[in-house]
Amino acid sequence: MSTTTRILTVDDSPSMRALLNHALTTQGFDVAQAEDGIAALDWLALNEVDVVITDINMPRLDGFGLIEKLREGSRHRDRPILVLTTESSEEKKARARAAGATGWIVKPFDPQKLVAAVRRVAH
Amino acid sequence: MNAEEIQAIFFAECEESLAAAEQGLAACKAGTHDADTVNAVFRGVHSIKGGAGAFGYTALQGFTHTFETLLSDVRDGTVAITDPLVDLLLRALDTLSDHVSAARGMGDTPDDTALQVELTAAMAANAGAVADDAQAETPAAVAAGDGDSAPAASSAVDDDFGFDFDAMLDDITGAVGAGAGTAEGDEGAAGGDEQAPGDNLWLFKVRPHAGSMRNGSEPLLMLREMIALGGACIECDIDQIPPLDTLDPGTGYLGWTFGFPPEASQDSVREIFDFVGDECGIAVGEGAPMPAVQFPAPRAANPVPAAAAPAVARDEAQGVQATPATTPTAAAVPVADSAPTPPPQQQQAAVPAPPAPGQSIRIELGKLDKLIDAVGELVIAQAMMAQRLAGDGLAVTEELAVLEGLTRDIQESAMAIRAQPIGSVFSRVPRILRELTTSTGKHVRLEVSGESTELDKTVIERLGEPLTHLIRNAVDHGIECAEDRIAAGKSADGTLTLSAEHRSGRILIRIADDGRGINRERVLAKAIEKGLVAPDVQLSKEEIDALIFAPGFSTAQQISNISGRGVGMDVVRQNVKDLGGRITIESEEGKGTTFTLTLPLTLAISDGMIVNVGDQTLVVPLANVVESLRPDPKEVQGLGAARAMINVRGRFIPVVPLHLAVGARGAVERADEGVLIVVETERAGRAALLVDAICDQRQVVIKSLDTHYRSVEGVAGATILGDGRVALIVDVDGLVSRSLSGQSLAEAA
Repeated sequence: MSTTTRILTVDDSPSMRALLNHALTTQGFDVAQAEDGIAALDWLALNEVDVVITDINMPRLDGFGLIEKLREGSRHRDRPILVLTTESSEEKKARARAAGATGWIVKPFDPQKLVAAVRRVAH
Repeated sequence: MNAEEIQAIFFAECEESLAAAEQGLAACKAGTHDADTVNAVFRGVHSIKGGAGAFGYTALQGFTHTFETLLSDVRDGTVAITDPLVDLLLRALDTLSDHVSAARGMGDTPDDTALQVELTAAMAANAGAVADDAQAETPAAVAAGDGDSAPAASSAVDDDFGFDFDAMLDDITGAVGAGAGTAEGDEGAAGGDEQAPGDNLWLFKVRPHAGSMRNGSEPLLMLREMIALGGACIECDIDQIPPLDTLDPGTGYLGWTFGFPPEASQDSVREIFDFVGDECGIAVGEGAPMPAVQFPAPRAANPVPAAAAPAVARDEAQGVQATPATTPTAAAVPVADSAPTPPPQQQQAAVPAPPAPGQSIRIELGKLDKLIDAVGELVIAQAMMAQRLAGDGLAVTEELAVLEGLTRDIQESAMAIRAQPIGSVFSRVPRILRELTTSTGKHVRLEVSGESTELDKTVIERLGEPLTHLIRNAVDHGIECAEDRIAAGKSADGTLTLSAEHRSGRILIRIADDGRGINRERVLAKAIEKGLVAPDVQLSKEEIDALIFAPGFSTAQQISNISGRGVGMDVVRQNVKDLGGRITIESEEGKGTTFTLTLPLTLAISDGMIVNVGDQTLVVPLANVVESLRPDPKEVQGLGAARAMINVRGRFIPVVPLHLAVGARGAVERADEGVLIVVETERAGRAALLVDAICDQRQVVIKSLDTHYRSVEGVAGATILGDGRVALIVDVDGLVSRSLSGQSLAEAA
C-alpha cells in the first residue's frame, strides 16, 4: 500500500481510544477518534477513511446503528468496519454481521491481533 | 502518550463511570427505573470492565464481569428491579469503587467472594423465567409468516448445523492428529512418528461465499494472510465456474485447498475466518469435502441472476425479499458449513440512544492554568491601559469600553472552563450515608438540590474532605436514633438536606439535618471544662455554637469511630478558610442544625476594595467587607492610649488601624479623619479597619505569595494594579485577630 492506512476509532471510553490510538499509531496507521456513533458520522461526513473500528455500547448512537447508517449509503457500503467490543456472544456477533460489520475483535484486544485484523480488511 | 498516561485517563474515566452508575442507581432507588437509567448504570460498569481487561486488572475485571452480567439481565428485563436488588447493586457499586481504588494502588483489593455469590444468586433466581421467555419467543417468530420469519427459521436450521459442525471438526482434528492425511502424498510420513517437520502438511479448504465479498470484506486478503501463516495454495477448485453468460460476479465459485506445515496452528488459521462467520465455507483435513458453492436464490422480482452483488446484499440485510425456502443460507446444505448462527433480523430495533450528554474534551490542567494565568495578565494589562488613557484624558473611548467588555467575557469564559458542577462532590454522599447507616444503624434520607451549581475545580477538589466530615458529624451527632426520633414526634428516618446555590458572586452550600440540634449547655460546659473559655463568660447562642470549631473541642461522650477520627471541626473550618470561604451554623434545639459554607467561585480572582494607607496601597477582599463609613468624632471612643472603639448603631467595634499593622508611613492616625471599613472575621467577630481612603472596587487577580515569596501572616496574596504597582491583599481574619492580640504585622514579618 502506497499511502498510510487511515483508521477511525469510535469508542465512548477515552482510555480505550487512547489505547487504540497508541496500538495503531505505533504501527504506522493514521488514526482519528470519535466518541460515539453520531460523532463518527459527523467526522465521516467531512473526512475519508480506510477502516472504521467501532465499539458497540455507546451513548447517542451505538455501534449497530452506526454500521447500519454507514451501509445505507453507497459511499461506505464497502468500507471495512471492525467491531471492537467486550461482548462475545454469538447473538451479538450475528447482529453485527447482519448490520454489515466486516469483522469482530473482542476486548481486551491483543495489539498484534488488532493490527492483523486491520491489515486483513485494509484494501 | 505512554502507558501511565493512558492509565490515568482510565482512572479518571472510572471516577466518571462510578459517578454515573451511582446516580443511575440512586434514581432507581427513588423509583425511576426506565431503560435510559438502567442503561446508564450498565454502561458505567461496562466501560470500567473494558478498561480493566485492557490494563490487566484481573480482580477488577472479574468483579465487573459478574456485576455487568447481572446488570445486563436487569437491562433486558429478565431480572426485575426491586428494592432489595437496588440495595444489592448499590453495595456492589461500593465494592466496585474499592476495586478501582485498589487498582490505583490506593487500598487493598476488597474481598468480594460473598458479594459475587449474591450477585450470581440474583441472576440464578430469574434463570427459570428467562428460559421460559426464550421458549415462548421462538415459535412465535417462526409462526409470524411474513418475510421476517425466514431468518428466524433458517437460524434454527443453522444452529443444528453449527452443532454438527463442531462435533465433526473434533473428528477431523483427531484424524489429522493421527497423521491420516498428507498433502503431497509423502508415503513414509503416514505411519511414522519421526516425520520431518514441513513434510507433513495439513490441509485447509476454503470457499468464500457471496457474503464474504460484501461489507468491506476481501477474500483475497484472507488468502494472503494464510500464506503469511506459512500456508501454500495446493489446489484451486474451478469446477463450479458456470458459463460466462450465467456467471454472477457476486457468487463465490472458487474453492482453495491450502497446505500448512504442522507448526502452523489450526487455531490461528481458523481465526482468520472466525471473522467472517458463515460467509466462508471452511473444512479441515484431506477427507473433508470442499464446501459447496452457495448459489444465490433466484429472485422473484428480478429474474436476471447476474444482479449486482450490492443490491443482493442490501435485500438480504434488510430481509425485504427473502423467500424462506430459497435464501442462500437455507439453500446451502454442506455439512462443513461453518458454525455461527446467521443474523437474526432484529437490528432495526436498535437500542434506544439515551439523551446526549454535553460533548466534552479532555485538556491537561497545566494548559488550562496557563490560559487562566494569561487571562489574568490580560485583565491587568487592560486595566493598566485604561488608567494610562484616563491620564491622557481619553477615558471615555468607545473602543476602550468594547475592549473592557471583551476582556471580561474572556475572563469569565476562561473561568467557566475550570468550573465543574458540584454534583461530582454531592454524588459521593449517598455512599457515605450508606456506610454510616451500617455503622450507626441510623437511616437517613438524602435530599439534594442545586447539583448543577458550578464552581472552580480546585475548590471542588478540596471541598470533599470538609463536606464529608460535616456529613459524618451531622449523622453521628445531629440525627438521633430511631427510637428517640419517634419519641420526639419525628419520622424514624432522619433527613439530610444538601443544597448549593450562587449568591452574589459566591457559592452557598448548606448541610442541614433535622436532628436534635446543638445542646448549648453541654457545649458550653465542655468548653469551660477544656479551658477554652472562662467559667463565668457570657456568650450569645451564636458564640456558643461557634465553640465547636475551637481546636481541641469534642462533645461526643464516647469517641465514636465515625466523627472522632482525630479530625475536629476546627480542621473543617480551616479547610473552608483555606478555600477563601466561611462556615456558619444555625441550630435550633430539637429541630436540627444547618451548616452554611460560603465559598468563592474561584481561587484565582476575587473582588477587592482597593484602599490607600499612607504610602501603601492594599486590597481588602470584598467578601469580608460589611460596610464602610466616615465616623463622626462622637462615635469614636478611646480605649487607653493606642486603641479605639467605634459605635456602629449601638454596637461597639474595635478599630484596627491598618497602617500600624503593615507599617505604612504618613497615614491617617485618627479614626475620625479617615475611612473605616467594617469587616466580618471568623475568629474575632467584627472589626473596623482604619484606612486613609477607598480608591476603587474591582476584581483582582490573586498571585500567591507562597509561590513568589513566602507565606506571610496577615497577607492573603498580592495583585498587580492597573498602574503596574504590586498591592498586598489583606488576610482580614489573620490580620484582625493578630492586631487585637497586640502584635503588629511588621513584628510578625
